Amino acid sequence: MESPIVSTPGVGIAHLPNQKHKIFTKRGAHFTIMVCGESGLGKTTFINTLFTTSIKDYKNPKKRHEKQLDRTVEIEITKAELEEKMFKVNLSVIDTPGFGDYVNNYDSWLPVVDFIDEQHECYMRQEQQPTRSGATDMRVHACLYFIRPTGHSLKPLEIETMKRLGSRVNLIPVIAKADTLAPENLAKFKKNIMDVIEAQNIQIYKCPEESEDEDATTRNQTILSAMPFSVIGATEFVKTPDGRLVRGRAYTWGIAEVENDVHCDFKKLRNLLIRSHMLDLISTTEENHYENYRQQQMATRKFGEPKVKKYENPKHREKEDELRKVFTEQVRDEETRFRQWEQQLITERDRLNKDLETQHAQIKALEAELEQVYHHQSSRGNTIRR
Amino acid sequence: MAHRLGGRRKNVKKGFQFTFMVVGTSGTGRTTFVNTLCDSNVLPNKICDNPEDAHIEEGINIKPISVDLDEDGVRISLTIVDTPGFGDNIDNERCFHEIVAYLERQYDDILAEESRIKRNARFRDNRVHALLYFISPTGHALREIDIELMRRLSPRVNVIPVVGRADSLTPQELKDFKRRIMEDIEHYSIPIYNFPYDVEEDDEDTVEENSELRALLPFAIIGSDEEINVNGRIVRGRQYPWGAVEVDNPKHSDFGRLRSALLSSHLQDLKEITHDFLYENYRTEKLSRTVSGGDQEDASLNAEDMASQSVRLKEEQLKKEEEKLREIELKVQREIQEKRAELSSKEEALRSLEARLAQAQLAD
Repeated sequence: MESPIVSTPGVGIAHLPNQKHKIFTKRGAHFTIMVCGESGLGKTTFINTLFTTSIKDYKNPKKRHEKQLDRTVEIEITKAELEEKMFKVNLSVIDTPGFGDYVNNYDSWLPVVDFIDEQHECYMRQEQQPTRSGATDMRVHACLYFIRPTGHSLKPLEIETMKRLGSRVNLIPVIAKADTLAPENLAKFKKNIMDVIEAQNIQIYKCPEESEDEDATTRNQTILSAMPFSVIGATEFVKTPDGRLVRGRAYTWGIAEVENDVHCDFKKLRNLLIRSHMLDLISTTEENHYENYRQQQMATRKFGEPKVKKYENPKHREKEDELRKVFTEQVRDEETRFRQWEQQLITERDRLNKDLETQHAQIKALEAELEQVYHHQSSRGNTIRR
Repeated sequence: MAHRLGGRRKNVKKGFQFTFMVVGTSGTGRTTFVNTLCDSNVLPNKICDNPEDAHIEEGINIKPISVDLDEDGVRISLTIVDTPGFGDNIDNERCFHEIVAYLERQYDDILAEESRIKRNARFRDNRVHALLYFISPTGHALREIDIELMRRLSPRVNVIPVVGRADSLTPQELKDFKRRIMEDIEHYSIPIYNFPYDVEEDDEDTVEENSELRALLPFAIIGSDEEINVNGRIVRGRQYPWGAVEVDNPKHSDFGRLRSALLSSHLQDLKEITHDFLYENYRTEKLSRTVSGGDQEDASLNAEDMASQSVRLKEEQLKKEEEKLREIELKVQREIQEKRAELSSKEEALRSLEARLAQAQLAD
């Protein structure tokens, strides 16, 4: 039986949201964002532009020759604590250097996907512990995939990666370095991308559209229609011809402004990530993606059992071949050993056969003797007690 | 350009033949560059067909196209080889192989033609005289695919590195990018075509011109097949919300310098190097290979496959032999046991007979 909804006059229930607000402001939030994409697409610049502070360092170009091309994708975590009007956010930025940079990029999405799964796994295991208070949560709340601004369409590598990311995390596709595309090319490119995303069943993050507030609904709709977001990143301030000081990139022929909606969708993306939908991103990660993962894992694993790891790294193929060679050599040694053993067994068998023969001959001789003896005895006509 | 040729009137009338190849991942501006160079839609832009097939990896597709140009009154019969599909796959190893095979095929044709008793007077020389490699404007440095390509192809063709879509870099970024690329090229010892000159032998003008062009490497290219209106002038360019880029403006792009170098000033030089140096090297290599009696090339290509195949076969063989030996072992052991059992039963019989004998003797 449903309990009737009674609106009690002035008990103070209406103040609960304020209390929640106070608790939340004291606790602060933590937000984990991942940037994924080939190198040179402006990921680091974007992060620094987004939070208007130098969170990530650029790679030192002088050191590039030191790193031997070992063809691995790394996971790089940068942490920062941001504060705005007394509200703290613990920010973690996850970068994927090496992704898509090599001649053979097969399986290069594996380290990224494994990382995301691992965070879910880690949290799940911590939840199952007796003491749950100190749980560290590095589950990725949003993953920005930076698409190369070719102007044509998505590449197979991008499609494969986005498919796998979209099912595990809130995937937000972003067109990087959008200042290389003229407006009509950009519009065509966006449409091609969305067509491919739909045809290939790639799940991307779609913010909830309807809301009680009219403004919010229209804002959400504009955000949705602008996907994938075109971004320009710039941390420096430049002076426009009409005297304004803006963040942008100064070309010989003009200045591309970061916060100008005509030039790029940066502001819309920033609103999505921080201003309006950060909490939604966090809660969908916890409620949908984490729950999906948990469900999948619990269906196949017993409580407390460790995860089965099937990590096939094609970069280890050479090591595999080496091991295989060692293995064949060992098998060859074993084979020679077996042959010798076989020889020994055969000689043994022959020897035993011979022994058997001699024994047999002896037995026959004895039997013959015995026969003679009996014969002899019976011929003597004595009764022999048998 | 006519003044440079001096007395080569015959060639001026006949025109020149020149072949160059454009290589680069999709979206670096190859097609647009070619169209801008020839001032007409020579190559079709990429059609993004069925989005449902977008995840399928297409291999590389090497297509030559012929165009006739008129450059300062000189006819140039231009062959452009486009390579769509390069670098767009998840695994791009095969792309290199195909391009090298194409280049070598042209050399093979010439080699075969030269060795004929009756040569075809109108034989068409399809050797590639220059390769423009479009580097993606990341702003960082060379990527593995860039290094690998230039390294593998420079023994066969004059490689000229070019920064495609240079309008995504600010002037300072472009300068740093160019510098880092040249540093990388030196670090990895990649032999590119760098407008060679000899300070002692050549005249001053040549030295100056070549060193200027060398300093511009890699050329920053912006291409456009559209015309826009900039302050009343109609020029080729791209229109952005924040400004307009002009293709032919030397402050915006090096397109003009590259075009004149490729089609006028250094056309002969590129052809000569291709013939006198690159082709000769290939010829020497190929002929000495067949003399030393090995299809070593094919062997080396298949060696890996064969090695892994033979490893697998050996493994299977060894496994089978192992099993056989085990069976033999078991059989032999069984026989031994049986014989032992026989032996013991015979011994028993013997003992009982002896016992009886003893008894019989006792009874005696």
